[in-house]
Amino acid sequence: MIALIKMEGFRLLRQSRTYYALAGVLLIEAVVLLSAYYQGNEIIDILLSQLRESFYFEGTLVNGNLITYLILNSMWFHLPLILMIVVSGLLTSEYKDRTLLTAMMQPVRKVRYLLSKYLVGILFSVIIVLLLSATSLGFSYAIFGRGDLVVLLDGLNFYEQPNAFLRIVLAFAAGTFSMVFYSVTSLTLAVIFKDVTKTWIVSVLFIVISNLLMKIDFGSGFLNNVFYFKLNQSWQFFFYPDIPWSQIILKTSLIVLYTTLMTLLGLFLFKTKDID
Amino acid sequence: MIFSGESIYKSYGKLEVLKDVSINCKAGDIHGLIGANGAGKTTLFKIFLGLVTPDSGTVNFFSTGAKKAGGIIEKPALYGYLSASDNLKVFAGIQGIALQKKQVIEALHRVGLSQDRKDPVSNFSTGMKQRLAIAIALLNNPSCLILDEPFSGLDPLGIAAFGEFILQLAEKEGLCILLSSHIIDEMSRLCTHLSVLKNGKIIHSDSIDKSTKSLLKTYRFYGPRISESKVLKRFGAVGERNCMKLNIEAAEMPQLFNALGKEQTVVTSMIPDLNLDGLFKSESK
Repeated sequence: MIALIKMEGFRLLRQSRTYYALAGVLLIEAVVLLSAYYQGNEIIDILLSQLRESFYFEGTLVNGNLITYLILNSMWFHLPLILMIVVSGLLTSEYKDRTLLTAMMQPVRKVRYLLSKYLVGILFSVIIVLLLSATSLGFSYAIFGRGDLVVLLDGLNFYEQPNAFLRIVLAFAAGTFSMVFYSVTSLTLAVIFKDVTKTWIVSVLFIVISNLLMKIDFGSGFLNNVFYFKLNQSWQFFFYPDIPWSQIILKTSLIVLYTTLMTLLGLFLFKTKDID
Repeated sequence: MIFSGESIYKSYGKLEVLKDVSINCKAGDIHGLIGANGAGKTTLFKIFLGLVTPDSGTVNFFSTGAKKAGGIIEKPALYGYLSASDNLKVFAGIQGIALQKKQVIEALHRVGLSQDRKDPVSNFSTGMKQRLAIAIALLNNPSCLILDEPFSGLDPLGIAAFGEFILQLAEKEGLCILLSSHIIDEMSRLCTHLSVLKNGKIIHSDSIDKSTKSLLKTYRFYGPRISESKVLKRFGAVGERNCMKLNIEAAEMPQLFNALGKEQTVVTSMIPDLNLDGLFKSESK
């Protein structure tokens, strides 16, 4: 299995598409950074307009922590999209170039071969989120400096620099599970659709519908707690004054469960399908 | 016996692609499979290589190695962005073999490729890609090689060279080779056995000698102004200028060549031409 993972990783690193995706993530991050700066000023002005009448604020609240928080808010469409394109490509490109035929003619079990792709896809997603978190924090701190983080969640909450940094890091960690779920889903979609374009279209639809459903309140506590699209918001819990750890653990466990089920579905379908 | 496929059936929905197909092959044999497009050759080879599951029937390899068979389906499928060496390493790695540099050089040398090419294989000619695909198929020493249309995309020189290479693999290395192609003269040159697949059914299977006698009755004769030959016309040949087509039994050949010699007709080449339509009609009766 380790040899299969090594080979998969080697191919991923040798494809120009991977580096375009990395460059894409950094480019989008730069654009978000720029827009977050202007958006941040507006948000702070609105949030603090009334408080300024009673309190005197020293220094700037549009700092690296707030900008990174805004990046976190805006990563739920473009990052899954890039991840789904790259990770689904681990299989769709093999269907397109017919290299899957050559690979499957070797003495290797189909399930192990696909499982190695899932594992590399998960590893790639984790690395991309790590890269995004490191660069967004690094660039934000370098350009906008450090300072207290102000967040509007059930009222205004202020977090001092070390506490804000820890909460942001934990939020990125929680977000990683959602990104892994999207990546794994894209690979399962690749097993089903095989074709590059079809898989991309369905992946984009999946993200759009997930984001739309995420915003709907179903009224039922059960649906709000169990449906996967509601689980992607668990990173927000780290910005409540008292972090609801039980909620975070439950939602993260459910995402892991969904990810596992999606992987098993892909493996089952791949095993039962002929290689055409 | 190295390979045996028995009573293979395969359907896609209501379409029966293969019906009771049986083929076997011994070490050193080259078993040719011919048939029109859509006859079921590629599906059959995919079943033999484990890519497609048959509805019923058995595929047996009587060898002990980890890899029972290697193959090429339709055209070489390689990682175009990787070099030849990296392609070999990746496909070896997939089956758990960590190829050393020396082994890579040997594998490339075995198929007549140079280790000096470091550029991506997308730059390679079709012939070079075919050879690399064979090198990959031969990784882990399978005893059987399954080649579906291996000559497609090759020029005449490439076809001859690649045919010679296949012949060497069978004769010198004792591999059992299953081969499909539309190039009948190359098939009759290389194969020890020949089977004909029509609409998913084997309608003929025999040694190449017997097959040639029963199947090859049409030949194209080439030569300068060969259409002026009275001998060929007398035997019933038809054609124009430098090419004449003739239906003739193998037993009549000596008589024909004697007559052509006396007439001083220059024959530069004679190519067997299989009339599949005629063959299928006669075999189906």
